[in-house]
Amino acid sequence: MNLSHKAVPEPIEGSQKNVGHAFDSLCCEHLYLHLSNQIILKDVSFSLPEKGITSLIGPSGAGKSSLLRCITGLNETWQGDIKLNQQRLRQWHGGVDALRKHIGLISQKPSVFPVSIAENVIFGLSRKQRKQNQSRWIQHCLEKAALWDEVKHRLNMPAASLSLGQQQRLCLARALALKPSMLLLDEPTASLDPRSKELIEASLRQLAESMPLLCVTHDLQQTQRLQGQVIFMCDGKIIETGSCGDFFEHPERIETREFLQWSVCDCGD
Amino acid sequence: MKWFLMLLALPAFLFPLASLVYILSHAWDSLSWSLIFGAEESSSMIEAGQGLWPQIIGSLWLMLWACILALPVAISLALFHALYASRPQQRGLMMILQLLQGIPPIVYGLCGLIVLVHLLHWGISLAAGGVILAVIVLPLLTSNMIHALERIPAEQTESAKSLGLSPVQIIGRVWVPLVWSGFLTGLLLAMARALSETAPILFTATVFSGVDWPDSMLSPVTSLQTHIFYLAQEGSDAHAVGVAWASAVILLMLILCFSLLALALRRLEEKV
Repeated sequence: MNLSHKAVPEPIEGSQKNVGHAFDSLCCEHLYLHLSNQIILKDVSFSLPEKGITSLIGPSGAGKSSLLRCITGLNETWQGDIKLNQQRLRQWHGGVDALRKHIGLISQKPSVFPVSIAENVIFGLSRKQRKQNQSRWIQHCLEKAALWDEVKHRLNMPAASLSLGQQQRLCLARALALKPSMLLLDEPTASLDPRSKELIEASLRQLAESMPLLCVTHDLQQTQRLQGQVIFMCDGKIIETGSCGDFFEHPERIETREFLQWSVCDCGD
Repeated sequence: MKWFLMLLALPAFLFPLASLVYILSHAWDSLSWSLIFGAEESSSMIEAGQGLWPQIIGSLWLMLWACILALPVAISLALFHALYASRPQQRGLMMILQLLQGIPPIVYGLCGLIVLVHLLHWGISLAAGGVILAVIVLPLLTSNMIHALERIPAEQTESAKSLGLSPVQIIGRVWVPLVWSGFLTGLLLAMARALSETAPILFTATVFSGVDWPDSMLSPVTSLQTHIFYLAQEGSDAHAVGVAWASAVILLMLILCFSLLALALRRLEEKV
């Protein structure tokens, strides 16, 4: 692969055959999920705004990660309806593999492939696209993920040589390389140092200006830093939704108040 | 305590080593190039002509056919286990593989004799031996491949899935680079196992004399294992017994080659 930065970047070809424009909403309606005779999600309904960050918070076992897995099709046994730009996920043209190219998913634990940093960024592209000179696109994605300055001189080094925080940003760049219409993040900074956390949060704030982001987090301070909307889940149900300010200052439900109280106690400890 | 445990473990090291030394000491006088490759003029029936070369090739042929037949089935089963099988199906498959591994090889040989040799009229042949050996090595090969696939971190597969890679792309671009050495290790162990089987091929594939090279898949073949088996019964002929020991050394060396290669690959895999 030629990584000359002087080369004219090749356009990333057709990754959005289903719609002519970016999705303006994700809409989940009456979502249920049963796993091993246990109800994981109960009548979950919500929609995401056209852009901006929505934080999905709640205690462990509330069903937050399961919800993300349902949206990305990693869990396909759900019942109900999920729509992206008014289009049902189950009837997606090209199937679930085509759908996943539209939804970037960042997991809690960064997982890089045993290839170079540059190859990791374009790992999800088609063979034809990977054979083209993607150096400018790689740079663009790494810049968006706030990683370019740290890796620009070692793009051909193994991705495993990066620190955990850098690997997580590489995963973000890899997801962005597919030009996703939305990003789902499952505790993306849970195991990272404060500096990496800060860099990723800055990237997310920037990305949220152009696409919807749904971010699962246990870190309430991070939720407040990211602002945007908040969805609070408990026992597989959505308990409360609202803007970040309202949620923290005027929680309506008793479960929310209890959760915030406990979380504040936890932070204090 | 440490020394006591070492003392208990000592026979496990000493016994194979003593066996090897014993076999080598008995085979030493008979081991020669002419025994393997033959000699134009020799007082011995075995060394005259092609030596043990047809037996070596026969054993390798049987091993090769067994692996060629078993490999695609083992890969398919391992991929089915990893990609599509439900938990109960996975448990069921592993249980069947364990049961198959526990069946004595002579029972497989008997089945091969009845079904392949007599019922299907294949006769004592390379094909019948290859199929029976394939059935014997299949559980070992499949188990090794399943374990190699299980060692792939789940995060790698999920990351590939979340990038929209199809199952075929995930296998080719994520799994193969991670498991090829594990697969090869399994294959080498299966090769060593196929080489070490005697009873099943005695029933289905091999003859002691009258054959140098098989003409077709339905021709009988001669092998080192059969050679050792028949020569060892000639207790009164010291030369024949010596050749049996020498054949045993050659067979051991072949098995050792595959086992050591498998071990080296496993080490490499662990380092990566």
